[in-house]
Amino acid sequence: MSKNIITTPRYGNTLKDRLYIPAIYEGCKVTFKHFFTNLNDSNAVDTLEYPEEQPRDITSRYRGLHRLTHRSDDSVACVACFMCATACPSDCIFIEATQRDDDKDEKMPKSFSIDTLECIFCGYCVEACPCDAIRMDTGIFSLTGDKREDFVLNKEQLLGFKGAFGEEKSCARD
Amino acid sequence: MSTASIVVAVCAFVLGALLALLTIPVLVWLERRTAGLVQDRLGPNRTNIFGFRLGGVVQSFADVVKLLIKEEYYPSHIKQGRWIFIIAPIITFTAALLAFMVIPFADTLVIDGEALRMQPIPIDFGVFWYLAIGAVGVIGVIFGGWLSHNKYSLLGAMRAASMVVSYELPLGLAIVSFIVTYNTVDFNAMVTWQSETFFGFLPAWGILIQPLASIILIVALFAETNRNPFTVAEGESEIVAGFMTEYSAMKFAMYFMGEYVAMNTASAVIITMIFGGYQLPWVTTETLLGNFSYFAYILMFIVPLFVWWMIGFMKKNNRVRPSVSSDSGRAYETKVVSIFLIIMAVMVDAILLYLALFPNALATQIAVTLIQIVIFVVKLMAFNMFFILIRWTLPRFRYDQVQTLGWKYLLPLALFNLFITAIVVVGVNS
Repeated sequence: MSKNIITTPRYGNTLKDRLYIPAIYEGCKVTFKHFFTNLNDSNAVDTLEYPEEQPRDITSRYRGLHRLTHRSDDSVACVACFMCATACPSDCIFIEATQRDDDKDEKMPKSFSIDTLECIFCGYCVEACPCDAIRMDTGIFSLTGDKREDFVLNKEQLLGFKGAFGEEKSCARD
Repeated sequence: MSTASIVVAVCAFVLGALLALLTIPVLVWLERRTAGLVQDRLGPNRTNIFGFRLGGVVQSFADVVKLLIKEEYYPSHIKQGRWIFIIAPIITFTAALLAFMVIPFADTLVIDGEALRMQPIPIDFGVFWYLAIGAVGVIGVIFGGWLSHNKYSLLGAMRAASMVVSYELPLGLAIVSFIVTYNTVDFNAMVTWQSETFFGFLPAWGILIQPLASIILIVALFAETNRNPFTVAEGESEIVAGFMTEYSAMKFAMYFMGEYVAMNTASAVIITMIFGGYQLPWVTTETLLGNFSYFAYILMFIVPLFVWWMIGFMKKNNRVRPSVSSDSGRAYETKVVSIFLIIMAVMVDAILLYLALFPNALATQIAVTLIQIVIFVVKLMAFNMFFILIRWTLPRFRYDQVQTLGWKYLLPLALFNLFITAIVVVGVNS
């Protein structure tokens, strides 16, 4: 026998363990304590009464719903380079590019939509974007709708969301 | 048959039906709220009717409505015996309900020299009735498990049946020791026997006179009612949902409710056999009748005290946290329920004062019966709470451990206890 073999001690064979009653008593002590403490002051129970109380622990790194950022003149920061759509593992970003006329850049998205039912919220699009045009800092964690089409966010909706943690404008395009 | 006997019989029957049926939603709610509080959650507390949530008990009634209007679905592979498939849960439910019907809620009411039993089914061999009818419930489980044509259902039903076979023996032997001790098979006579004292000061409750048989009785009844830690028949980690796998809508609800009625019945049997039934310790019915005015005066203090505590509890707990802007009518509910409780307390106090000042044989007797019914209900709910808290304390036994416990430990212990009991009883009586 190798000395590396470890013998696991077996529990439950003593008389005290086989009687069950002492273990039941110990277990009841724990549950009864919790029960009566919480019954006495149910508002001290550490739960979130969700629709009325909103989560308080969403940090700036939380990946919420996407948004498209603006430049300093409030035009769209995106240059329709398709980096995000290429990086997207679930192929949920649909971009149609068009000519940009104000000499700031060559291209801009004509339409930019994200199918949030397909999206897995991995954040690769944010990582891939060279213009800081797409971000996931809205802090929105629930999106509801009546039909599937409601969950496909178009360019206007994405531009309409505000960042929840400051820094409204794009940092890479001005 | 006098008018009084008919009235008492109808009252007892209605009370029995209410106690068995109306406690189902309350018990389901208690189970869920208790589970929540034990696990540091809140449990269902939202459902309300016009803002009245009553701690969330409305949720159970909403669940019943949901189950009633659900689609009646029959698995297509059930070709033959569909009608037995349908009546199987009804058998389980009815058996549990009928077994409850022999529990006395109060002592025998004597009106004009006529003894009227406060039992829905006024028979004097209640223990045999309970043992006979209580075991029928598993037949419904076996039918359901077999006719589901599903291996998990069959396994669950087989486990339930074998558990009943294993635990009916120690249960029966423990009950036989009680029958030998009390020298009766009548539940009411058992309670009367227990209202005496022994050694001069201890109440002669079965738990003190027959501790071993009491523990066996409680453990065996936990197993009979399929409650944790003996839920192997529906062990969802192994066999999906056991015999209930193919059931849905109201057919499932029948099994579900039957389980709670069985638990209620088990609690009633336990308190009737070993916790003095509807009696307070040291207080027999004769003491209560003879010194009614003193008890009335004591009750007149206890009822307002309870109402005061209840209002304080509601004010403390029936509100939302400061971080929530709207309290969704909780303050209004507390106010209305408080006023209702105060009016009830004043009425009860007025009636008790009237009875204490102007004694009246018939009214006193009815008041004593009502007091005993209240004591019975309080004890019943306390023991139901014990059942529930045990469920959220203990993990489930493995199937072979259940059988080992039943055959190797409980059965010999029950036999040994019966042997000792018989020797002691014969020795004392000779």
